[in-house]
Amino acid sequence: MKIYTGTGDRGKTSLFSGERIEKNDARIEAYGAVDELNALVGAVVASLPSVPEGGVVSMQLTRIQSDLFRVGAWLATSAGSPSMAYLQPMDQEDSRWLEEQVDQMQSQLPELTVFILPGGHSSAAWAHVARTVCRRAERRIVSLLDQNTLPDDGADSLLTYVNRLSDYLFVLARYCNYLAGMVDQVWQS
Amino acid sequence: MRKMSRESFQAGVVGQRWLTGHVFEISFERPRGFSFIPGQKVSLTIDDITRQYTLINQPDASKLTICVGHVPDGRLTPLLARARPGEIVILSAAAGFFIYQSLGRKAVFVATGTGIAPFLAFIRNGVRDFCCLQGAINERELLYRDEVEQAAGEYIPCLSAPESNGPFWNGRVTSYLEQRLAKERYDFYLCGNVDMIRDAIRIIDQHFPGSRVFMETFF
Ligand SMILES: Cc1cc2nc3c(=O)[nH]c(=O)nc-3n(C[C@H](O)[C@H](O)[C@H](O)COP(=O)(O)OP(=O)(O)OC[C@H]3O[C@@H](n4cnc5c(N)ncnc54)[C@H](O)[C@@H]3O)c2cc1C
Repeated sequence: MKIYTGTGDRGKTSLFSGERIEKNDARIEAYGAVDELNALVGAVVASLPSVPEGGVVSMQLTRIQSDLFRVGAWLATSAGSPSMAYLQPMDQEDSRWLEEQVDQMQSQLPELTVFILPGGHSSAAWAHVARTVCRRAERRIVSLLDQNTLPDDGADSLLTYVNRLSDYLFVLARYCNYLAGMVDQVWQS
Repeated sequence: MRKMSRESFQAGVVGQRWLTGHVFEISFERPRGFSFIPGQKVSLTIDDITRQYTLINQPDASKLTICVGHVPDGRLTPLLARARPGEIVILSAAAGFFIYQSLGRKAVFVATGTGIAPFLAFIRNGVRDFCCLQGAINERELLYRDEVEQAAGEYIPCLSAPESNGPFWNGRVTSYLEQRLAKERYDFYLCGNVDMIRDAIRIIDQHFPGSRVFMETFF
């Protein structure tokens, strides 16, 4: 599926809803960030510790990767366009699912009372990078919503989802260290 | 014809028909519960080799049909070309977003080679009044010409190496776009190889600003 792929050599690209827009448009920044995030989630999957729990995490992350495609398609669609009919917007259920995974992982981790340095096992390090890009995607989406060019339908659920996803990635980073038998490094101020 | 998982089906070959020396149609029994929107494609797997094909049958047909360009040194198409009735392939659920949307502007379909496939699906679902630029080497390679021409409001065959002097545009679809198509805002639907799509988009950005563009790249 080549929705937004590389046929715009001249600084323009196509939206899912067909319009040609400049590549430095705020939307492209937003779905570019989501795309980058998706690639980083792939890097987390590729570096997960080889323990049975890693398989479970891998399945979760695969689901998240396809959810991020949904997010990207939504960002690439103009309000009011018929393409919206083909979108599968995020709903509160998607965010709740993330929250459940966070709770599940957190129940196995020691409580966090200090700041930790992002890093540790390579999968944890990737998860931290993914988390920061996820925050950036969230900021970009907020700016887009301020410009009112996105479909209203599902905007709140989408923002909630992206927000919960960065929480998920933070806890996942700790969980990856835990699975790999590594201890989070504490920040010594 | 068994449903395998949420996303794939086994389907038996039920027919095959050559349209030209190197393009054929092949049909499969329609798995129960299989649905699609005209313009969508399936992933087809034989011997662990998977490629995507656009469905061209009518939405409610009892068979699923695709139109395939035979690539002699390709991996999958030679297997498909040799497939016998009853042979089983694996099909994914239909997917994709190259779908006709009536947006109040004139639709211009631009197809090269087997790239006519999604437009055929649109036509077989009742889409009319469009302008179609169909590109091929010569007259014989204009796949489904009669059907497309009949459904189109305006039909322009574009031949890069014509063998007669019939009424057609002597050149590529992209040169027609650039030199002939009235300069208006359109909804362009492009399907075919990446070079055509890249050139067409460059021309659209330059000559048809404000148009919408939907595209599907086959190879
Ligand atoms: C979304 C999508 C929909 C597609 N729908 C169709 C369709 O409806 N019909 C169809 O024939 N193909 C379609 N394709 C292309 C198809 O998926 C395969 O790439 C093609 O059949 C070649 O497979 P192969 O394994 O035989 O060749 P490979 O071993 O993969 O060799 C690939 C080479 O074959 C050549 N090639 C690929 N496709 C074609 C073609 N159609 N005509 C001539 N040369 C080609 C290219 O040079 C390419 O580099 C579609 C592709 C995509 C991405």
